[in-house]
Amino acid sequence: MLKKEEPQDPAVAFRYPRVITYKHSLGYQSKFAHALKMGRIIATKCPVDGRCTIPPRIVCPMHHVRQTEWVDQGQRGKLLSAFKINFPMFDSRTGDLKSWETPIVSIELEGGARMDGWCAEKDTEKLKSGMILEAVWRPPEERKGRVDDILYWKPV
Amino acid sequence: MTGERIAIVGVGQTVHKSKRTDVNTAELCAEAVEAALADAQLTMKDIDCVILGSFEPADGYSGPDKWIVPEIGAVGKAGFEMQNVGTTGGVVCATGFNMAASGLFENVLCVAWQKMDEAAGAFGRGGGGANEYWTGQFPMSPITNFARRTYDYMTRSGCTEEHLAMVRVKQDQCAQRNKYAQLKLGLTVEKVMNDFLLAWPIRRLHMCPTTAGSAAIIVCPEQRAKKVSKKPVWVEDWFTCHQGGALTMAEDPQASTLGYACKKIYKRCGIINPKKEIQAWEVYEPASTAELRWMEEVGICEDYTAWKLFEQGRVGTDKEIPFNPSGGVTATNPIGCTPVVRVVEAALQVRGDAEEHQVPGTINRALATAYGGQGENVVFLLKKTL
Amino acid sequence: MTPQIKKSVADIPEEPIVVEVQAHSNFLVTVGNTGNKFLTEIRDNKTIMGIKCPQCKKVYVPPRTHCPTCFTRMSEWVKLSGKGTLETYTVVRYQEPYMPKEPPYAYGVIKLDGADTGIVHLIGGVDLSKIKVGMKIEPVFKEQREGSILDIDYFKPIG
Repeated sequence: MLKKEEPQDPAVAFRYPRVITYKHSLGYQSKFAHALKMGRIIATKCPVDGRCTIPPRIVCPMHHVRQTEWVDQGQRGKLLSAFKINFPMFDSRTGDLKSWETPIVSIELEGGARMDGWCAEKDTEKLKSGMILEAVWRPPEERKGRVDDILYWKPV
Repeated sequence: MTGERIAIVGVGQTVHKSKRTDVNTAELCAEAVEAALADAQLTMKDIDCVILGSFEPADGYSGPDKWIVPEIGAVGKAGFEMQNVGTTGGVVCATGFNMAASGLFENVLCVAWQKMDEAAGAFGRGGGGANEYWTGQFPMSPITNFARRTYDYMTRSGCTEEHLAMVRVKQDQCAQRNKYAQLKLGLTVEKVMNDFLLAWPIRRLHMCPTTAGSAAIIVCPEQRAKKVSKKPVWVEDWFTCHQGGALTMAEDPQASTLGYACKKIYKRCGIINPKKEIQAWEVYEPASTAELRWMEEVGICEDYTAWKLFEQGRVGTDKEIPFNPSGGVTATNPIGCTPVVRVVEAALQVRGDAEEHQVPGTINRALATAYGGQGENVVFLLKKTL
Repeated sequence: MTPQIKKSVADIPEEPIVVEVQAHSNFLVTVGNTGNKFLTEIRDNKTIMGIKCPQCKKVYVPPRTHCPTCFTRMSEWVKLSGKGTLETYTVVRYQEPYMPKEPPYAYGVIKLDGADTGIVHLIGGVDLSKIKVGMKIEPVFKEQREGSILDIDYFKPIG
């Protein structure tokens, strides 16, 4: 699969490993991160068509107007699609090849916004479009304000 | 369209392979430039503007133009570098067309390259702003994106895994006739259906390979084009548009700008029945299963019915619908360079120079597209006569 | 439209957050056949080679396949003595990741005898304050060489 080939002769090919540290500002989306720490999922709402979007955005991409209203999205959602990765893939956070055991699901939340998450049900055969899933959170002291503060989504 | 009318007077590409240990990145690029110049019967002295680009993270260089420009003899010429993931080659060509149409330049060279044997986990970091925050926990890549799209397509259209395999077999049959294509595997429906499963329903054979390759075109405004080439390929129109990428895919698994871009181009050019008025298609499909949806978006058939055309055996180089006669992206994918390969192949079809994989008959119009990220598109319409 | 959730969001703070991430990359760089000959000559024979353009007659070091001036393919190799003149240099005194040496160290542009281009390399074997532009210098090769430009340890003044 995605093998790492070790070079034999540096006069033919050589590796140069690099680690670069970035500091990304979340900006307007910081409120979303704070909400996750509190165990809540919120999204911005477009004043023109009322659609809620995650990630929350300062400007609606379709109607080009500022989105100042935030709406709580609840704790449950409807399953739209699911897939499981059957081979080792790079974890962008560490650069390592690893296996991915849990399926990834796309959900439509109660508030209308859609997001991705991990799923508690490992057997994709049992996941059907339209099923209701509920968020299972990390304990409050372990939350970092990241999307994976939602440990996984569990069928209700 | 405003500005000068323009034509492609020369095309060139390398024979695409998974690894090229005999050349470094700049030398690979120089090979395609040599080929395009030879095809146009011009020299670097004639070129007055150079637009270049590649998907930088997949090569591992930041600002590679500083290295490539001297190695292709382009020092002192006008021009610049572009970069936009999979659409890189598309924006390189679109910019080159704009430069030629402006009337400021007489011979514009557009070149893109990609040397993927040098990248490690290039897709580990996708695009989209604070990506580490939003999608960094997930392995985001074309494999997972197309797994999601295809699953959704199958649910809505009722097609089966066998139909997905039929698409892959058709592509392989086309690639076998293209001397530049990378993967020529002699596939059958059974082989594809039993191949290693990456992420359902995407199997390893459904995905494009990693490629080391390069391609270039030379574009001239009308008067110059008529002098330089006996068979100029006229660029009728082009259009580019974006949408939200990976972050929008969570909102709509089928999110794509291809249908939107095509509608705009067809309206501008007065095309009412694309299936009849366009005789060759080179559409960028990162996974073979994407061909199903793309065929619908470019207007060949109704939504969610393209799989029936494959079942009826109506798609192929010598068949009713010559879709990706070169074998497409599933056979060859030097990411940033792939759109230029699409334009090169479409131009060869219009000229009648595609040799073994030439679509029979007169090709008055050909459509070429670039696809990048998770839904951006650049669409080009080429034609035989003004 | 989808039903609205009525819970208030007023109690959720809005202070800006900065997220630190580390991007790891481990690229495999191909040298190419031309570069390969250059490096193997350095490793195996302690010789620096240049390549000559048949049109312009210029000799390029490090070598490449096409002439940057006229885009002609080059294939005529020229053996150089390795000696040269220091065209310009600087002394690096600050620390940054991935440096070839601990600062302070000097590196500069060297015009090798017989070549028409300069190469960048380290200057050593001399007091940093005594380095002068125009100095005649020669390469010092490492004992253990592996096929990299750093098989030349540094250039030192002749004599």
